[in-house]
Amino acid sequence: MYNTNVRGILIQGNKTYTDVTRDVLKPLDDKVPLWWWITSFLAIGALLWGVWGIYHTISVGIGVWGLNNNVAWGWAIINFVWWIGIGHAGTAFSIFLLILRQKWRSTINRAAEAMTIFAVMAAGLFPLIHMGRIWDGFFIFPYWNTRGPLWDNFNSPLFWDVTAISTYFMASFVFWYVGMIPDFATIRDRTASKIKKKIYGALSFGWLGNARGWLRFETTALLLGGMAAPLVVSVHSIVSMDFSVAVIPGWHSTIFPPYFVIGAIFSGFGMVLTLMIIMRKLYKFKDYVTDNHLDAITRILTFISLIMGTAYLTELFSAWYSGSEYEMFTFMKNRVTGDYTFAYWTMLTCNAFIPQLFWFKKIRKNITLVFIISIFINIGMWFERYVIVVTSLSKDFLPATWAMYKPTITEISIFVGTLGLFVLGVMLFFRFVPTIAVSEVKAILSDTSTTKPNNNEKQ
Amino acid sequence: MKSNSIIGIYKDENVLLEAIDELLANNIRIYDVFSPFPLHGIFEKLKLKTRIPYATFIYGVIGTISVFAFLYWTSVVNYPLKFGGKPLNTLSFIIIMFVLTIFVATLFTFLTYFTIEKMWPGKEAKLPVPRTTSDEFAILIEKKPDMDKNELDKITRLLEKTGATEIKESEVDY
Repeated sequence: MYNTNVRGILIQGNKTYTDVTRDVLKPLDDKVPLWWWITSFLAIGALLWGVWGIYHTISVGIGVWGLNNNVAWGWAIINFVWWIGIGHAGTAFSIFLLILRQKWRSTINRAAEAMTIFAVMAAGLFPLIHMGRIWDGFFIFPYWNTRGPLWDNFNSPLFWDVTAISTYFMASFVFWYVGMIPDFATIRDRTASKIKKKIYGALSFGWLGNARGWLRFETTALLLGGMAAPLVVSVHSIVSMDFSVAVIPGWHSTIFPPYFVIGAIFSGFGMVLTLMIIMRKLYKFKDYVTDNHLDAITRILTFISLIMGTAYLTELFSAWYSGSEYEMFTFMKNRVTGDYTFAYWTMLTCNAFIPQLFWFKKIRKNITLVFIISIFINIGMWFERYVIVVTSLSKDFLPATWAMYKPTITEISIFVGTLGLFVLGVMLFFRFVPTIAVSEVKAILSDTSTTKPNNNEKQ
Repeated sequence: MKSNSIIGIYKDENVLLEAIDELLANNIRIYDVFSPFPLHGIFEKLKLKTRIPYATFIYGVIGTISVFAFLYWTSVVNYPLKFGGKPLNTLSFIIIMFVLTIFVATLFTFLTYFTIEKMWPGKEAKLPVPRTTSDEFAILIEKKPDMDKNELDKITRLLEKTGATEIKESEVDY
């Protein structure tokens, strides 16, 4: 099997196996820090505001949003696509890097997968609310009904979307959970608290860690990972088809599936970077998530940013080269210039230009700057979805129907609510789950550490 | 299975792997090995194999066929309705088949894993050496009723010789 040694030392600080267990599980036993309470309360506040927004939408109707006859998809779909994109990182990270035998994934994958779970939960909320009549949501499932039975339209990307996202959620969750079982067992066998022993014991499913158990565990993890890998590509391809099968200028394009997948991985990696910088700072995990890890992520981002830039230019080129005046209008008069110039140029700057700063080693090594750039990527990717959804819809073929779109406070509150949901989920993850995959780190320790980790006492 | 056994505890995975070689060379049957992380050397030395991938493949095939059968039956047989001028038996089935095949295979692989490992939420784990989930390794050798004292001594001596930091007897039940 191909093994890369390019990255060298991945775990700093001469760790032994005992140290790894102790370091990673320490935050679970420590007193709950103040920042945790503050962040969680803020997140709950945001979540409650979002719940109000959803209540308002359902009790009054979708008319409380800023949508109109032309722009029928607004913030809800923008946020849906944005969250799904962020939700791609975990799986892309763990699974692509697992298949490519990149050992540096081991300290990051757990957190990235957790992020995926919460991001997909946030994403799934939007199409559900967007239906307007949320209580009829079960119509999407092909069930035996009294209307014929009239089945779903299996040609519709909206139906594909439902299958793709529910499969993606299930597969990511299963992969994440199976990976955590040995670590739950470690907590179970180590903790002095009776309650913890009971809870983590139940969660660990009676894990033993014997030879046959590990073999089956590894095989299952690899199988689940292998099956989830094509999902990383297919989910966002299918999301892009929600747009590209329509005839709207700016949407009807074959570039969409790869363009969306790359965009999703880009925003996902951006969010992983944001989260990992926060995590290693708060939990003092600098020996595990080293500067080298962050360096590797920034290099990947530089490369993906180039692809993003190429995609933006290709869109402009094909609009011009196609000779279609509607395409030309959408891109040149309604994106590059026109009413939505701000959104377009924010997108281009944040996604295609700013990450290019990572070419400089000085900037890659400056964690504060890396953090700021990662935030820019998150913002840029949100604006990309804004540009795609809003500009194309607001001015289509018939000038008489042109309309502008502005979100209302209800739409904003639901978005803030999902941010709250995500942050709260991450906080619960930080508090109750080992944020680094303990057994995976131990497995790479002897190859990628400075000393032999085999003694229980430090040499 | 319930039986008495001799357990050798090791602190180093390389010493452990050499110990396994030594024990196997002396025709001692190793019942099980416990470790805090997967060691591929053990799988090879104990000649362990798993058939889970075959099960996954079968689930995948069943998934593809049943999803196609359902789509064909609903769209062509049960209620033929044209959408957007596309044929009733249409290529877009492939997308749903692709995704749902993964759904079926993933879900059933997951369930199969827990079934054959006999794991369930809340199951009590009876570990002979609890620290094997953190930083120790253990070789477990079954103590059969027909073993005489010489044989048992030989096992103990070999465990000691190969670098076991601790040797104990225990009754395992798992």
